[in-house]
Amino acid sequence: MQISRSQLKRVRKPSDSMTMSMHRFVYVYRLCFTQPLILTKGGTMKKAFTAGFAALAFIALMAFNAHSAGGPKQEPLPKATTIAELAERYDSERCADCHEDIYDEWENSLHARSILGTPRTAPTIITAIEKGLKLFPYSGVKSDEDVTVEHLMMCAKCHLPQLDEATDDVAREIVATIKGWQQAYRDEDWDTVEDLEETIESLNIGCMVCHQKVALIHKWADGYPQHDTVYGSMEGEHEDEEAVNMAEAPALNESIFCGQCHGLGPNMELDHPSQCATIYGSYLFSYVAHGGSESCQECHMEKSELGHDMQSYRDDTMIEMALDVKVEGRSMFWRKNKADGVLPIGIIDVSMYNKAGHVIPDG
Amino acid sequence: MTAKTKDDEVVYNDQRIYMPFPGRMGKGKEMGRGPYEKSGLLRETSLVPGKTTHETFEITFPFEDQEKDGATRRELLQDELVVAVTLWYVPFGEFDGNEVAFFEEEKVIDLKSEWIWR
Repeated sequence: MQISRSQLKRVRKPSDSMTMSMHRFVYVYRLCFTQPLILTKGGTMKKAFTAGFAALAFIALMAFNAHSAGGPKQEPLPKATTIAELAERYDSERCADCHEDIYDEWENSLHARSILGTPRTAPTIITAIEKGLKLFPYSGVKSDEDVTVEHLMMCAKCHLPQLDEATDDVAREIVATIKGWQQAYRDEDWDTVEDLEETIESLNIGCMVCHQKVALIHKWADGYPQHDTVYGSMEGEHEDEEAVNMAEAPALNESIFCGQCHGLGPNMELDHPSQCATIYGSYLFSYVAHGGSESCQECHMEKSELGHDMQSYRDDTMIEMALDVKVEGRSMFWRKNKADGVLPIGIIDVSMYNKAGHVIPDG
Repeated sequence: MTAKTKDDEVVYNDQRIYMPFPGRMGKGKEMGRGPYEKSGLLRETSLVPGKTTHETFEITFPFEDQEKDGATRRELLQDELVVAVTLWYVPFGEFDGNEVAFFEEEKVIDLKSEWIWR
């Protein structure tokens, strides 16, 4: 006796209590249903299957619950009123005492200068204000004084997500600081350049951005990040004055974690959707769709051996890992046609194999 | 891709561009520039993961048709070319000092064999 399509659907549909574990549930189903003809043939087998299935589903559910490291949505911390205050709240140096190697790796990455960039990002933020916000009729921005956190979130959603914990004064201070830095550059006032660059660099994607603020993605299922907890791969107590607990972030090792910022495309949740990257989109719909199975972290952190020094196109290791390029050259006398006669030609064949998990370049 | 003679004279120069073409504000046919304009993709020619992209360049060696004894002979002016293939990552779309060479290779191609099709 074969299982009908309708029966299959019934079996596959998770109950309400299992909804949160649906992905694991479906996986369990796939393990069990490799031979559907046999499974429903006899009553004993059917009961055995039901019991086995329930046990597996229970284990899966328990495993899922073990990941519920978050908690209820907490009252937000008081808004930071200055750049210094916001930088202090997310200062990674306090992690360096115990995690020196990781801190050193991170310090070399662009995450450590996510507002300054290469330094390409900071000027682009100003361009977005001058050529975008100030020219858009409904943005409400006519001068720098009109810029708010909401406006800057067009960039800060990814470049400084903690900006939503700051007042609009901080948004304006950021604009003024970047503009001051640009002016100092033009004036060749290198002391001021250095000072302001340090201020801009104090705003970054530091440890507590990834390991707390954006650590939990599915908050209704996994809970909201807690102010006293640092999220990673371990659970227990954590030696820190503020983040006194460690808990597991279930998606921290998954590509979706990076996809929070590294782009599906336009950020539709914004009133004016911005778009920097589409790289996570190409990962999903091109790389995975064609059989790719490695995660962002596997290539950018593990195989590259760069750890938290996450790099991209400016890094020799990443370039080496990105493409295989072959060039072949030959030459011949080409009997083209009567008009052109025989042409002496060289032929250069170039093949480029993209071995990365995304398109190159991104944008 | 550039081909030069031994005398450093450029006889061939061509390029291919691989990049996303984001739409401007997600409407119309215009490409957007800057994250405040870019929305969606009008076109995508970036190198695709898991795929090999092939390019072929045909370079004509410098030659000259010469009249001699009432007949026309096609003579090679250079029988050797130095070909440089470079794959650049150009973050701003301009060679402004921010470009990064992903790959560089030089090949010498020649036609030193006798040209029998005269």
